[in-house]
Amino acid sequence: MFDIKFNSLSEALLMQSQNGQNHGIYVWSVVLIVTLCISISFVFYKYKIKEISKKIK
Amino acid sequence: MFQVNRAYPYIFYLSLAIYLFSLFWGLFLTPEDFVQGNSYRIIYLHVPASFISQSLYLAMAIASAVYLIWKVKLSVYLVRSIAPIGAMTTFIALISGSIWGIPTWGTWWVWDARIVSTLILFIMYLGLISLHDSFNNYEKADKFLSILVLVGSVNIPIIKMSVEWWSTLHQPASITLSEKPAIDLVMLYPLFGSIIGFTGLIACLVILSSKLQIIKREKNKSWVKDYV
Amino acid sequence: MNIIRFEFLKLLKKSRGWLGPILVFTLIMIAYPLTVELTDIELGQSFFSILWIAALLVMMLATEDIFLEDFNDGSLEQYAISQNNLSFVIGSKIFIYWLVIGLPISALGSIFCFGIINQHNFSFQIFPVLLISTYIFLNVFSFGNALSLTKGSILGILVTLPMLLPLLIILGKVVIAINFDLNYSGFLFLLLGILSIIIVIIPMITSYIIRAHLE
Repeated sequence: MFDIKFNSLSEALLMQSQNGQNHGIYVWSVVLIVTLCISISFVFYKYKIKEISKKIK
Repeated sequence: MFQVNRAYPYIFYLSLAIYLFSLFWGLFLTPEDFVQGNSYRIIYLHVPASFISQSLYLAMAIASAVYLIWKVKLSVYLVRSIAPIGAMTTFIALISGSIWGIPTWGTWWVWDARIVSTLILFIMYLGLISLHDSFNNYEKADKFLSILVLVGSVNIPIIKMSVEWWSTLHQPASITLSEKPAIDLVMLYPLFGSIIGFTGLIACLVILSSKLQIIKREKNKSWVKDYV
Repeated sequence: MNIIRFEFLKLLKKSRGWLGPILVFTLIMIAYPLTVELTDIELGQSFFSILWIAALLVMMLATEDIFLEDFNDGSLEQYAISQNNLSFVIGSKIFIYWLVIGLPISALGSIFCFGIINQHNFSFQIFPVLLISTYIFLNVFSFGNALSLTKGSILGILVTLPMLLPLLIILGKVVIAINFDLNYSGFLFLLLGILSIIIVIIPMITSYIIRAHLE
């Protein structure tokens, strides 16, 4: 259950399926979008809170 | 607020760890799907986002009912602060779903009920934000926002049931509370993990965003001046 | 009863308010055949989607200033403080709008349906659906217009249009049901059920909103 299904890093990046298609680009682009969205909104809210606190002071 | 501040880092790091761990599990350790190939791994990102996007609307509906009935001011701050985060998660769900559709369905967009109603949800989140921002009078804006959220909540059961009511391309939900899951346990555990982790991360975002709302709206109070 | 008569006369006097939407609907329906090659099969294919969207757009236009003039000249405030039930006033206002605008549009729609599809059972079956759906559209759009009363109608449309899109899915299914002659009355009862809920709830919510505007 806990063995890695890919042998090397490039294989994990490509994610070739049994039907011969490479699905890596789809999976990794979704990962990238999700990471970007969440991290940007965290940074945005932290920045906004800092800004408004400065203004009140 | 002070207790939440103390708990915040624990929630954040714990859920981040759970999320990253189950993503790693889902992306590298689970076997390949027989039909869909490796592209099915997107569900570890797609399912949490779409689950959260509907749950956030439900939370908004409850909070606005609390505001309309008991006039609790904090709950309408919560409604306003959830709206942009809900829009973001719905956006993630839409984008990841359409990217998943390219290798699996052969097309990135289908006009079926589930997808269209999720798009409607996204537009509704944006509409809620623009409605609240168009009034200078906060009290009026709060009232209208909470009414609109309550009226708009009729869409949630439609989105939920659309997969069963209409014959669509979108597959029915793999996990339900009442029945045995239609997904293998090896794939299910990391999915649960990623849902829990993502929920925790979004909860952290909601905490931050409502902190911003509270400071913004109560900026003339003395305790806010002491706090910042 | 007095209120209904009064609102009726007020709407009739404002001819752009009721004649305008009907004419726009007719123009859209006339414009549609011009955009396709004139063979009957192609005309029938997308006629119904044009019909529903035209009805939706025209109801949007019709409710544009349903409350605004009354709000500006103070008669809404009069209603709010007088003995009359405000939600009843709003409900009758919407009813009058439906009677003056929705009813002719439904009749026109089924006439155009006969003109383009050329099967009379189609237009007989589409008429009650049009009647019910225009009433639902009017109710929901007047709720949206009440929300953005002083801010222009575009905001109200933006926030209420998403709620009507599931209804459009049902309307699309109705056409399929008529086409293959199955379960038409079931869809009609579903629409009637939706209408009977909306007809009670929307005036209540709208009166709450208008009271908030008047404060």
